[in-house]
Amino acid sequence: MTATPAQSVTGSTPGSSRSLGAIARWLTLADHVRIGMSLVGGAALWLAIATVLGAVLGVERFDSAAALVDAGAHIQLFSMHQFALVFGVAAPLMLGVAIWSVPSQLHASNLSLPRLAAFGWWSWLVGSVIVFVSYLGNGGPGGGAERYVEMYLLGLGLVIVGLVAPAVSLATTVLTRRNGQPLASISLGSFSALVGAVGIVLTLPVALGTTVYLWVDYVNARVAFGGADLLSSWLGWALREPQSLLYVVPALGVLGDAAVRTAKSRQPLRGVMLTGVGIAATVVLSSVTQQAHVFAVGTSPSETLQSFVPFALFNLVPLLAPVVVILLSLLALRAGKPALSGAFVASFLGVGMIFTGLVGSAAMHLDALNLVGTVFGEATLVYVVYGAVLSAMGAIALHAGTVTGKALPDVPVTLLSLLGVLATVLASLPHYVAGFLDQPAASAMGFDDSGVVGVTNIATAAGHVLMLLVLVAFLGLFGSSRRADTVTDRYRVEASA
Amino acid sequence: MTAPALAAGPARRTSTVFVATAFVAAGVAALMGGMLAMWLQFRANAPTRVASDGVSLIKDWLKKDVAIPEVAATTMMFTFVIACVMAQWAVYSARRGDKSHTTLALAVTLFTALAIMNAQVALWMQIDIVLRNDAYETMFYTVTGTMFAVVASAMVYSLVAMFRVLAGRTGDHDVLAGHALYWYAVSGMFATMWFIVYVQK
Repeated sequence: MTATPAQSVTGSTPGSSRSLGAIARWLTLADHVRIGMSLVGGAALWLAIATVLGAVLGVERFDSAAALVDAGAHIQLFSMHQFALVFGVAAPLMLGVAIWSVPSQLHASNLSLPRLAAFGWWSWLVGSVIVFVSYLGNGGPGGGAERYVEMYLLGLGLVIVGLVAPAVSLATTVLTRRNGQPLASISLGSFSALVGAVGIVLTLPVALGTTVYLWVDYVNARVAFGGADLLSSWLGWALREPQSLLYVVPALGVLGDAAVRTAKSRQPLRGVMLTGVGIAATVVLSSVTQQAHVFAVGTSPSETLQSFVPFALFNLVPLLAPVVVILLSLLALRAGKPALSGAFVASFLGVGMIFTGLVGSAAMHLDALNLVGTVFGEATLVYVVYGAVLSAMGAIALHAGTVTGKALPDVPVTLLSLLGVLATVLASLPHYVAGFLDQPAASAMGFDDSGVVGVTNIATAAGHVLMLLVLVAFLGLFGSSRRADTVTDRYRVEASA
Repeated sequence: MTAPALAAGPARRTSTVFVATAFVAAGVAALMGGMLAMWLQFRANAPTRVASDGVSLIKDWLKKDVAIPEVAATTMMFTFVIACVMAQWAVYSARRGDKSHTTLALAVTLFTALAIMNAQVALWMQIDIVLRNDAYETMFYTVTGTMFAVVASAMVYSLVAMFRVLAGRTGDHDVLAGHALYWYAVSGMFATMWFIVYVQK
């Protein structure tokens, strides 16, 4: 299904028939381009919701005494924002981009088991709509309407199934449709998609099992898991760092591919690069412990070591993945004809933002800094997720020419990436500052909003609004490029004879 | 002068379904593993009570008046062994082009799955606990109910594989090998659950 030339419509087909045909094709979709684009489109919708929620929460926290939104809905707003960022944006966006581009990277005609991937898309869509409706009806974590809390858990289960199914299809595609290439020789994008997909397959079912327990307990006795108020404490590990790194692992591969295809070079130290991406898989262990590992200096060296080892395993080791990829992508750029491109700039800045979020997460787990329970944690998640959005822009710029036959113009992509990074920093960095000033997490009232704290909250609101504008502009750019004249695809790799 | 075209190599064996089954099995194992880990955590955190010997302290997890129907549970465990042997027999027969034995093996696997599900229902009826009293009861029905659904999924796999063989697709070794792999994985999961929930209690 890749590299499809534009097909001319012959004859005069009525417009309504064409529309019906398009809808029917979309409903019965079973090719990687449509499935991938559907997931990306769905994630774009959730990104719009997440940015609006982020802006509302920023304005709400600007003045902690005034209430823009009913105070009883605050817990749900914060929880919905987190859901939107992780299961609405990061996971489906990266899966969608990978499904859209990996078959063309492997020179395969389609995904393996495309109907399983399509089932995943529909399941995710239905589940995420159910979750959205349940929040509107006072459901979700902390919700007061029983039916809507039950609905939330059902929707969450469907969302998880909807992410695991395409991940199975994607991982199978990389392993079985390599056209004879050894695994070590495939593109870094495909390899990182495999790592991310396997990570999702191994960790999200654990969250599904917890969801089943929560649902059965909630519907019946509510004696084991504590009802709606404690939903987030049981499932929180799936919605924060380091687990979020697993959802965005494909971003690392996008950067590696963008570097070599921009510089027209070979990847130096390719084995190290693959190992770097593979390091991200250590995050799978987070689903085993399901808790935050805080480092505290103990009263004896052995006590300190006991605290340091899990902290390092879950917070420092995953940092190596983006570090290795960033350094080696710069080396690849230097090894060829050093140049900048829209895809490289977007993916480089995206991985940089992901790295910043992970560094923040590691810092948050240092007991001495006393940041747990502050807005610092919210900022780390925004860094990672918005970083993934930038990387997805880079991936679309990198592969649009091959997959759709219409490359994106370079300059607008670069400018939008720079705007996107500004939006990400504005939406996150002020909360790093506010975290040090002890602004509490998931709370819009009861803290001192005078001085810097008030400014940081309004700055984050501005950052989220700017990200919404970047999203709209990028969608416009992608849509207009489909109708515009063909642009030279600077990333195309000519097949060797 | 043009070089003669190379002869086509042997057809590559496709393993798409087998690999996908392995991933699904890994996912289902993560699902059951996560649920059993939570079971162990709850059991470890349960309060203690004096055991029936009047001296030692034990975890007050399974109430003293509740008896696990061990016959039904252990019968299920051994029935899984039969299902695995039958699933492997289907692979063996298909490799020899023996359609009738392949079909028979898959049919027996299917009915074995039915027997397992029947035994599970019998166990639920014999254990005589309700869902609403405490954490043990909630988690017992959730974890065994999820296992029931997993066995049902394996049964559907057997049914689909059997229909494919009946329709003449006896060369689908990939599907039959994947089917056997899934049964092995499900049996491993049940063995773990059997030990934790029914033996250790």
